[in-house]
Amino acid sequence: MSKEVRDNLKYTDTHEWLKLEGENAKVGITDHAQEELTDIVFVELPEKGKKIEKGDELCVVESVKSVSEIYAPVSGEIVEVNEELEDSPELVNKKPYDEGWLVEIKVSDKKEINQLLNSEDYKKNI
Amino acid sequence: MTLKSPLNNIHKKIGAKFTEFAGFEMPLQFTSIKDEHLTVRKKVGIFDVSHMGNVWIKGKDAEKLLSLTTMEDSSRIGVGKSQYTTILNENGTIIDDTIFMHVDERFMLIPNAGQSKIVTNWINKQAKKHNLDAEAKNVSREYVILAVQGPKTRETLKKLTNEDLSNIGFFGCKKIKFAGFNVIISFTGYTGELGYELQINNFDDAEKIFNKILKSGEEFNIKPIGLGARDTLRMEKFFLLAGNEFEGGRTPLEANLGFFINWDNDFIGKEALLKQKEKGNYERLTALLCQEKGIPRHGCIVEKEGEKIGVVSSGTMSPCLNKGIAMAYIKPDYIKVDNTAEIIVRNRKIKAKMIKPPFVSKEWADKN
Repeated sequence: MSKEVRDNLKYTDTHEWLKLEGENAKVGITDHAQEELTDIVFVELPEKGKKIEKGDELCVVESVKSVSEIYAPVSGEIVEVNEELEDSPELVNKKPYDEGWLVEIKVSDKKEINQLLNSEDYKKNI
Repeated sequence: MTLKSPLNNIHKKIGAKFTEFAGFEMPLQFTSIKDEHLTVRKKVGIFDVSHMGNVWIKGKDAEKLLSLTTMEDSSRIGVGKSQYTTILNENGTIIDDTIFMHVDERFMLIPNAGQSKIVTNWINKQAKKHNLDAEAKNVSREYVILAVQGPKTRETLKKLTNEDLSNIGFFGCKKIKFAGFNVIISFTGYTGELGYELQINNFDDAEKIFNKILKSGEEFNIKPIGLGARDTLRMEKFFLLAGNEFEGGRTPLEANLGFFINWDNDFIGKEALLKQKEKGNYERLTALLCQEKGIPRHGCIVEKEGEKIGVVSSGTMSPCLNKGIAMAYIKPDYIKVDNTAEIIVRNRKIKAKMIKPPFVSKEWADKN
């Protein structure tokens, strides 16, 4: 079963994706990641306003059997979290790149985005 | 080295996602844990549990040996009946929980995955020590064990046998012809649903039986079920899992198994249990239902107003309730139905309430 990798996104080798929209970046996990995790039943999102560094633990995604840390691809401040996931954590499985987004970060250093993988490089990872 | 179930190829064909459990490569799930879980609660599912053990207890003193090494007086368990019990150390802590079936002149013991050698050696050691003319023979690698569980189990299985299954009482066992093959069937299970377990000592037979049951259950939407759902199903019913609930040395009194202690029987560990019973004041396995979102896991600390009162031995998100549930050993003074506590999950404190188990009642499927 082929896993979707979108060309207009940036990626990490820990299977997060990032989409820059002006000053802010939306972050989620890839199709590959959600499939590995199987059915997600709980997402523990961070507080809005929290400042994070690239590589910090951003949030935690849980399936029945596993607990997975999701890491911040860039540094900045958390400005939005996807509150839909509180009642519908399965959105992360169903629409990992759309309605299943996790957080929105106000990026503090845009240079960090250039350090991320493009879709071709990420495809080699999976 | 990871062992495989004799049905491993079938699991691969059906598209199982695998996991390693007690040294065995077994299916974790086929479709999804939640889907498989609800299928067993509402319809019917088939499990391959060949990673569990099979041990014959036989010989002139087989009954005496079982009565000595388990908590039950096995002379009370006649041919065609079985008993859930535990095997204890001299200090009363649990080596394994198990079912033994009085099949013919022999008993078949079903140890947990990874425990067969330990249990066999322990029982044979006791036979020697007490000069009993009996032995435990480990035949785990010769058997496939299938469990069929769920409200539609009888309808699924009765098409494949002339045996009237309603004649086998709860916890009964019998050698029967099933789908044309010889099996030992028992009215037992680990899901809390109506179901049977089959011991099959021919791998080709077992493959054919597995496929025939899948075919027969098609009209009831039968599904193959993995270990993921097996764990959530047993937890909702407050059944114990070896390795979780017995980790670090627990006694049957602590593990909520007092009902299964036959105090009139003289068994290894009884003295220690009597002492513990007299002393009282021991931690007890308690059911905690989360009142807030979050999933408790094995090892999570349980607190009451900042003070540690216990630890979680098993925890998950209940697929039926969509709430976190936990089995936890709690200090006795804090245990009372409706008492609240906090389960520490990473750096959050999740409010939980003590309830009378099970988490999910027999009537759940009728109402949902």
